Amino acid sequence: MKIYTHLSIEGFSNCYIIGNEQTKEALIIDPGKITKEILFQLEDNQYTLVAVLVTHKHKSHYRGLPTLRKIYQPQIYASDYEIAGMSATIIKDDGSFEAAGMHIDYYSVPGHTADSVVFKIEQVLFTGDTLTAGMLSKTNHVYAQRTLEKNVLQKLITQNDNMIVMPGHGPPSTIGAEKKYNLSIGCPLIISQINRNKKKSF
Amino acid sequence: MFLLNPCQHDACEKNSISHFDEKGFLVNDSWFCLEHCPDPKKACADIHQYITENDKIISLNADYLSFVDMDFANKKFYGCNFQHCVFTNIQSENCRLRMVFFDFSSFSDSNLLHSNVQYTSFAGCTFSHVLWTNSDLVHNNFSGITSYQSSFDDSDLYNSRFIRSKLIATSFQNCNIKSTCFYDADKQNVSFKASNTREADFTRKETKLENLYAFIN
Repeated sequence: MKIYTHLSIEGFSNCYIIGNEQTKEALIIDPGKITKEILFQLEDNQYTLVAVLVTHKHKSHYRGLPTLRKIYQPQIYASDYEIAGMSATIIKDDGSFEAAGMHIDYYSVPGHTADSVVFKIEQVLFTGDTLTAGMLSKTNHVYAQRTLEKNVLQKLITQNDNMIVMPGHGPPSTIGAEKKYNLSIGCPLIISQINRNKKKSF
Repeated sequence: MFLLNPCQHDACEKNSISHFDEKGFLVNDSWFCLEHCPDPKKACADIHQYITENDKIISLNADYLSFVDMDFANKKFYGCNFQHCVFTNIQSENCRLRMVFFDFSSFSDSNLLHSNVQYTSFAGCTFSHVLWTNSDLVHNNFSGITSYQSSFDDSDLYNSRFIRSKLIATSFQNCNIKSTCFYDADKQNVSFKASNTREADFTRKETKLENLYAFIN
């Protein structure tokens, strides 16, 4: 597996090309803006684009989709119909599928948006706008924040410490580092600990 | 991109390190970590030699290795893994790093002048007497670092994150710190002279749950 990153200037989101060297197939995660560099990277490496994975329904993460569909015929995986219409493969809850000769696990992590999905390919988590380096993404209200924190703790932080985190915005990280230094994760852990201690004292 | 294969030794959770075939090509299949490989000294020596002989290093996995008195000048590292490593007295001018992971590593007495580093993670690293002067350090993760008497002067730190870092006698003079995030950073004797501090993020709006946590305490 080869991973190439691109910073989309519109929305400053990260776009990832994941290439399978054996099958010469590739997939793109969050095509914020399709640039010449992205197309050259696909063509120069003789990759066939077979799938596009969208982490959530925000323009900065799927604006380049119409451009890609004009050139290639990729299968689109998203959890909202509005992203690609009826032709998209809608993924719900947690599960897995095969694309570009790779096994891809996905986890539904709502909070930032209702349709937020995290993709896991080998030892890399593509977290979109759920878990980013040092903090969680913004939410609209406290209930969404609580949902996001709960899901991140249950589904992402429980992964192996060596797992790489490649977020939708900002620099990369690892699960081990996030456990120690994420501003939002330490807090609910402490609160749950406090609540547990309170129950014990009663 | 390196493959994170677990060590073949029973119950070992560390990553296996890269090894080399008879022709000297890098092999990244499931092998052993440094502790459990048949000949750790040879494994270290092989990786050191590979770095010395090649200017462009791709997909190298070198968890828990030590690098002492080495010259990384003008080297290019792409998609490599150096987590939990120790770097001592490294000369690394004009080094180019892309998508390299140095999490929980230690750098001391090293010179990384004029480096070009993008999309790289240094989370939890310790920097002691490390010079990053005149470098492009765009889009990097410095969360949780501890930095003693180090210098980032004249560097571009655009969109990098220093969340929960401990910066002691560290200099950020004449830096571009636009969108650079210093949330919860412990700064002692830190200088931002001639840097665009108005463009950086030093404080954040606390969430309601965190306010609750503060109230409980």
